[in-house]
Amino acid sequence: MNGGMHPQLELLLQIQDLRSQRSELAEGEVARAFEEQEFGIDVDEAIGRLDAKIDEIRAELEPPIRRRLDRMTRGSDRTVVPLINGVCYGCFTALPTAESASVGRQAVNSCGNCGRFLYVAG
Amino acid sequence: MELSDFFYRDGIELELQGETKDEILKELIALLGLDEKSENILYKMLKRRENLGSTGIGRGIAIPHCRSLVVSKLRVAFGRKPQGIDFNAIDNQPVHYFFLIVAPPLEVSNQYLPVLGRLAQFAKEPDTTRRLEEVASPEEFLELFEQQAPR
Repeated sequence: MNGGMHPQLELLLQIQDLRSQRSELAEGEVARAFEEQEFGIDVDEAIGRLDAKIDEIRAELEPPIRRRLDRMTRGSDRTVVPLINGVCYGCFTALPTAESASVGRQAVNSCGNCGRFLYVAG
Repeated sequence: MELSDFFYRDGIELELQGETKDEILKELIALLGLDEKSENILYKMLKRRENLGSTGIGRGIAIPHCRSLVVSKLRVAFGRKPQGIDFNAIDNQPVHYFFLIVAPPLEVSNQYLPVLGRLAQFAKEPDTTRRLEEVASPEEFLELFEQQAPR
C-alpha cells in the first residue's frame, strides 16, 4: 500500500473497516455466533460501540469529504475501494495513468466513473 | 483447505519481545510485512476488536483477528511468548501463543471464518499448548500443522 497516505484517506479507511466489522456482526449469523460462542462477545453492545467509534472518526473528516461519504453511503456500503494496476475495484474502470499515479499521496482521490474514494492496495 | 496452507516461514516468530498486549499486537502485525501506514491502521482495528472483548480464548492462546482494507487477501501469522503476557484472556491466565488473522472485507476465497473456526478448535485440543511449547523452529511449527492440525 502507498506509504504516503493522505490523513483523510486514512480516516476513510478506518470508517470503512469499522463498517465492515459492524455489518459482519449485525448481518452475518455465522460471524455473530462465532464471536458470541468463542470469545463471549455481547454482539449488540459491540455494535453500539462500533457505531459510536464510526461517528467519532466521521466527525474528524473535513466537511466536503464527510458530505461526499454520506451521499455515497446512502447508495452503497462500499465507499472506499482499492486501485489495483490502475483499475478502480469499485466499478472496474481503468483510470488515466497520471490520475492513478497520484492516488493516495497528496489528496483524497475518487474514481471519475463511480465516485468512490480510492486507495492503492498492498 | 488445510491450516498449514496459510502459514509461511516469515510469518512465524517463536520469541516475541513485547511485554504488553499492545507491543505484542504490533510485533504480530510486523510479521505481515506491510508498510507503516497500513500497520498503523491494522493496529487500530485490532485494538478496537480487543476493546470489544479479549481474543484470549484461554489455555494460553489468543487469536487476534479483524477484517481490514489494508490487506488484499487472507493473512495469518503466529507468535510465541514463552514467558506469557497478560492479555485479559477469558480464563485470566497469561497468553503465550498468538494466532493473528486478517482478511479483507470482501474476501473472494471466503476462508476467514472457516480458518478462525479451525484455529479455535485447534486451540481446544488437550495437547495443543504442549505441542506449541515444544516447537523449536519455524519449520517445526509448519510441520506441526501439516501433520497434526485439524483436517
